[in-house]
Amino acid sequence: MHEFLAQLVNGISVGAIYALIALGYTMVYGIVELINFAHGDVYTFGSFVALTVLTALGVSGEVHGIALVIDVCLAILAAAVVCGVLGIAIERFAYRRLRNAPRLAPLITAIGVSFILENVMQLWQGPAQVSFPAVFANPSLALGPIAVTVKQLVVVLLAVGAMLALQYIVHNTRLGMAMRATAQDRDAASLVGIDVNRAIALAFLLGGALAGLAGFVSGVYYQSAWFFNGFSAGLKAFTAAVLGGIGNIAGAMLGGFLIGIIESFATWKLGGQWSNVTVFAILVIVLVVRPSGLLGTKPIVKV
Amino acid sequence: MIYVYVLATIAAVVIVERTRSRRVKLAILAALALTLAIVPFVDRTDATFNVLADAGVFVMLALGLNIVVGYAGLLDLGYAAFFAIGAYAYGILASPQFGVHLPFWAILFIAAACAGLAGIVLGAPTLRLHGDYLAIVTLGFGEIVPQVFQNTQAVGGPNGIAALDVPSALGHSFGTAAVPYYFVTLGGIALVAWVARNLGRSRLGRAWMAIREDELAAKHMGIDTTRTKLAAFAIGASFSGLGGVIFAAKLGLVSPDLFQFQVSVLILSMLVLGGMGSLIGVVVGSLVLSLLNSALLPNINAVIASTLHVNVDLTNYHFLIYGVILVAIMLFRPEGFLPNRERRAELHAAAITETSS
Amino acid sequence: MAGCSSSNTTSAKTITIGIDLALSGGDASVGQSTLNGMLLAIEEANAKGLPGGWKLVPQQLDDAVQGVHNPEQGVANARTFISDPSVLAMLGPYNSNVAAAQIPVTNAAGLAQVSQSTVSDELTIGDAAKSLRRQNPTANNFFRVCTTVSRQGTALAQFATRQLHLRTAYIVDDNETYGLDLANAFERDFGADGGTVLGHDHLAKNTQDFKALLTKIAAAKPALVFYGGVTSTGGGLIRKQMFDTGLGSTPFLGGDGIPDIATVAGKDADGSYYTIAAPDAAHAASARTFIASYEARFKSPVGAYSANAYAAAQVVIAAIEKALATDASTMPTRAQVLANVAATDGLQTPIGSIGFDANGDVKEPVLSLYGFKNGQPVFISQLNLTK
Repeated sequence: MHEFLAQLVNGISVGAIYALIALGYTMVYGIVELINFAHGDVYTFGSFVALTVLTALGVSGEVHGIALVIDVCLAILAAAVVCGVLGIAIERFAYRRLRNAPRLAPLITAIGVSFILENVMQLWQGPAQVSFPAVFANPSLALGPIAVTVKQLVVVLLAVGAMLALQYIVHNTRLGMAMRATAQDRDAASLVGIDVNRAIALAFLLGGALAGLAGFVSGVYYQSAWFFNGFSAGLKAFTAAVLGGIGNIAGAMLGGFLIGIIESFATWKLGGQWSNVTVFAILVIVLVVRPSGLLGTKPIVKV
Repeated sequence: MIYVYVLATIAAVVIVERTRSRRVKLAILAALALTLAIVPFVDRTDATFNVLADAGVFVMLALGLNIVVGYAGLLDLGYAAFFAIGAYAYGILASPQFGVHLPFWAILFIAAACAGLAGIVLGAPTLRLHGDYLAIVTLGFGEIVPQVFQNTQAVGGPNGIAALDVPSALGHSFGTAAVPYYFVTLGGIALVAWVARNLGRSRLGRAWMAIREDELAAKHMGIDTTRTKLAAFAIGASFSGLGGVIFAAKLGLVSPDLFQFQVSVLILSMLVLGGMGSLIGVVVGSLVLSLLNSALLPNINAVIASTLHVNVDLTNYHFLIYGVILVAIMLFRPEGFLPNRERRAELHAAAITETSS
Repeated sequence: MAGCSSSNTTSAKTITIGIDLALSGGDASVGQSTLNGMLLAIEEANAKGLPGGWKLVPQQLDDAVQGVHNPEQGVANARTFISDPSVLAMLGPYNSNVAAAQIPVTNAAGLAQVSQSTVSDELTIGDAAKSLRRQNPTANNFFRVCTTVSRQGTALAQFATRQLHLRTAYIVDDNETYGLDLANAFERDFGADGGTVLGHDHLAKNTQDFKALLTKIAAAKPALVFYGGVTSTGGGLIRKQMFDTGLGSTPFLGGDGIPDIATVAGKDADGSYYTIAAPDAAHAASARTFIASYEARFKSPVGAYSANAYAAAQVVIAAIEKALATDASTMPTRAQVLANVAATDGLQTPIGSIGFDANGDVKEPVLSLYGFKNGQPVFISQLNLTK
């Protein structure tokens, strides 16, 4: 029982990171029907931006009190802003011209952009793994029978906070509503006076910012960053988005947490080498039973 | 020299595509075949034919994937799984590890059948899925298959199977030279391209295209969509089974890291870059990307030094260069180098309906 | 052009050394620092001058395709070297399966190949190695300056049981050729030496999260954790995350893939042990010079295999110099260079004195064991492996 709870906590913590990345995939897919393969690398970029800011602030180890709050806020802000802008730039530069091109053309530019970003990060931070400062003191807390470390608590709280903020933006602001309208019917949205380009840019901005936050979170949680991390994290997060029902924001969160938990339990019960196989096998089964994902609505077939 | 050969081949196939006269087409194709057959006896650079033979395998793979994605419109992101199955078939049936030593030519058929069967087995549960959901399930299979090989110690785990049998033909061993494999891939491409071309024009081919354009309408017209889709998966997979055998025999080794997701993406890029659904386009796209990956990028320092006479070290920039090339080509020719005619027409039609709506 | 690229740009008195490594994508983390070690040796040799005014030119080819090391590309690169008459010897590769694909081809061509890091036993020893060399069975052309995994496994198992007096172990490997083979060798010998293996797990590829695995390991309460693999596939992160999962005080053992573990784990590297295939005295003195010149030249820390790579290049350079010393008027042949590489004996390198046995492995191997204090390596003991 004790180990079961510990593995559940492990799974939720890593799942929070997948969920944050998955949100970017799902929003972009929802609005332009594009698998944004470069998104995983935007996440890694966020780690490096946060690392750069922390280094500039002179942070190399644990920080306490008000300094901790200031340092963390600055690092998150920088990572979110830079990655949000990066998301918009990628859309403007590599996808917008291809909006009416054959469906797979932007998929290939997405892969191209992903290679470019990976190489740029390799040149910037070197090919080896980079150490990330242990910002938080990390004692283990006992919440009833569950042992949770401070880092795990921070990861999950930041992720859930960001998701609530996203829900608010998407459902309660004008821009958010414009985004949802564009996702439903781009032509109709433009007829009623919605600036479609701005709505699409907003999806990339929000997705990028969340990936930047995920980058900071994973840097703090694992105390390391590597230019190639985005590749497999992106693949898992995309899987999470599909599992939850792509285009569905709550689905992406659910999918992210589920993938994290499945991974932890597979490692525990079957061994680490089977964790990826298990994740993908469950994905296949879920989709065969529910072709549009857990929370996805049945795609409307136009006749 | 290798660039000259490939450019000349591309030029020839483009001319074939553009000319209307059947006689001229056949004449050019015959001349091309003859030249390709003679070249290895004139140019003795083994490395050149090695690169061409490797590229040839990718042409076969791309032609197979083209049936699934280009003809039937089923986005497959895990195609490398079938490639792996073909290659491992050779590894298991022609190596000292298992003590089985079947001839190369027999394994070609066995592997094509195994891969085709795998195509049906993996394709069957996905029939209800549409568009990108199908893509993600195939991606899942593409991740699972090499990982299972890697985790299975019986097939060597991460080490794979080494020292595979060297094929022989008419009593002569292929040896370590690349030229025999070059001829095998030429033959393989000719066969696969011929099959693909005839299938594309057959009843089955028209059914694939009907499904690609509108599955619901195709169903109402009486097309058995289940069987038609499974046929696409099976035939596409069997092509890559053939490619896998040639690949494994030439390398003398199979190991799981040869069939990662990146390989599926690479083959898909060849298709999109060349022009989906168009045989000639696919051949051109796969030649260009293979050459870029296996000849130009690894050699880029030397190539730049000998052509521009500057010494630069671009070893750290391979990914960057490759990425920029992919993005640039797609931005300037989103429909690929040589799109097929129907597709081009569709694009225009789409543009018209979009502006009129 | 792929075959004749370097010969037409370089002047007459140059000899090319082919280098095949995985240099892009995920493998770049170890590939680049390995390459740098080789380049440094070649630059130093050129600065010192070769007999007859000859110059050495490195030609590095990347065997990673789409970011993953690729045996097919490794063979293509080996064939490029073979087709270029100015290439007299070849360095690399990094991965054992790339080597297994290359050996039949380089063996048939009689091209000497010296690798810095391919440790799989099957490449040089026994029937498996014989079947790789079947084209030209009498001439062995593949050499390596690293120690085989079985030797390292034995040494580490004995160190654990006899010096650290630890009797239970949990084994983890990165599921790559080097890591799995090393872990299996350790498992066999640790059991033979009276230890109990509580479990053996393999890592998933490209992941940062090892907490689920470490939670499971912590529940088994092992006296030590053994890691088969290199720093970049998880060594550094596992050591770091052991502190998050209550395993911070459990010793962490690995082979020669994790001497750079502190670049990721920092002070958390304390409590880790690794081997280097060289006596400490020679290692300490010549390694210090090497590390200083490496860091001055490349402005980055030395990687796990930089010193091995430097030593492999030294072997090839010494063989070429020896051939030139007898006759510097013409370019030596590949056969001369191969014969000289095979005859290498007592060559002083940052990883100790190198000579080869008939299989192409290092003669009289010596392993030194190191631990960490404040994130800095500390020499512990030396093991002589000639039995």
